[in-house]
Amino acid sequence: MPAETHVEQGPLGPDEILGLIRERLSEILEIDETTITREATFADDLGADSLALIELVEALEEDIGERTVGFTVDDEDLADLHTVGDAVDYVVARLGQPG
Amino acid sequence: MSDSPITIAIDAMGGDNAPGEIVAGALDAVAELGVRVELYGQLEAILEHVPGGIAPPDLEVIDCREVVAMDDEPAAAVRRKKDSSVVRCAQAVREGRAEVMISAGNTGAAMAAALLRMGRIPGIARPAIAVPVPVPGHHPQVLIDAGATVDAAPEWLVQFARMGREYARARWRIEQPSIGLLSNGEEEGKGDELRKTVFDLLRKEAGFVGNVEASDFMQPNRADVIVTDGFTGNVALKALESALRSLAGLVFHTLESTEEARAASRVVLPLLLEAAEAYDPDLTGGAVLLGVKGMCVISHGSSSSRAIVSAARVARECVRADVVQRLRETVSHAG
Repeated sequence: MPAETHVEQGPLGPDEILGLIRERLSEILEIDETTITREATFADDLGADSLALIELVEALEEDIGERTVGFTVDDEDLADLHTVGDAVDYVVARLGQPG
Repeated sequence: MSDSPITIAIDAMGGDNAPGEIVAGALDAVAELGVRVELYGQLEAILEHVPGGIAPPDLEVIDCREVVAMDDEPAAAVRRKKDSSVVRCAQAVREGRAEVMISAGNTGAAMAAALLRMGRIPGIARPAIAVPVPVPGHHPQVLIDAGATVDAAPEWLVQFARMGREYARARWRIEQPSIGLLSNGEEEGKGDELRKTVFDLLRKEAGFVGNVEASDFMQPNRADVIVTDGFTGNVALKALESALRSLAGLVFHTLESTEEARAASRVVLPLLLEAAEAYDPDLTGGAVLLGVKGMCVISHGSSSSRAIVSAARVARECVRADVVQRLRETVSHAG
């Protein structure tokens, strides 16, 4: 079931989600946002380990949760997210929006 | 910082001797150090160890139902078990209910809870554990990282060195701490690829004295801060602790071995016991997790009540020395 969206703030689009992920990931990994592309892989290209991914997930749950009640990420799904694009698509799907 | 009582969040369920020894230590800390304690854990298990089942005014028991076990995968456990004692301790620091947390439980979970609940200091990619290593007749050396970040990038070790340097300044008032990079030889060029890269990066850091070896631990005037990755640091620390324990065992065994030795021990044993206190991990206090936006003291897994009091003493000292703010001001803006 899609998470409930706060009507007054409007739904998050894929570009906005990508922006959010880039912003948060650059803070977590201490790297320039421009290196974080949709195609970049978390492990090989960005050097993000499992703890960094969990930091990202916690940050996204907090950020997106402010606008969309009940937004969560299942830890079991993390293994399937290899690239930044995978994460964007995953969040879009969780929010029940078209990709 | 003012000398008003600080509030310490203590994880009552963490450690081999929890909750009994942790509760006893928390009670002693309140009585001996004049601190306030919030004790997090399963209410009924905690109250069993509180005399008369009634906590003193400066100790508040906060019930939480979940426990992170020693063999739980740290980050996953912290995400799943939000009502665990260690997560609630970190949350208390984040919310300002407590100035500092103490845990003797799963070190990885304490690190993950502190990192995920308090957040990282900007400019610090990964937290590190700083441990004071006793040096006879001298201030302690700071070993960093003693186990928080096992796989570390070269730049992270530079950050560890900066944090260790500032910590040494704050805790022991060393004006310009010397920094050594732990390697398998003193000469430049010794070490694996990580060490060689870090050596080059550390060249321009104030106080860098080059490589040091494991034999430089506990030696005065070699390095005030010994920096390494969490894997090597943890191995070195455990080896050091084990060697000291074996040596102490050998001395005490020898003093019991003959009639003459027993006679001699009546004279020297009290002196040896007093001297040995400098090496007793229960008395030297806990390690601190540096790099997060709050204070976290990690006590060893087999902590006794004395160890918890010592950890509380370290916690109070770190809060008074404003360690976190000092790291934010100096390390996060360092080049």
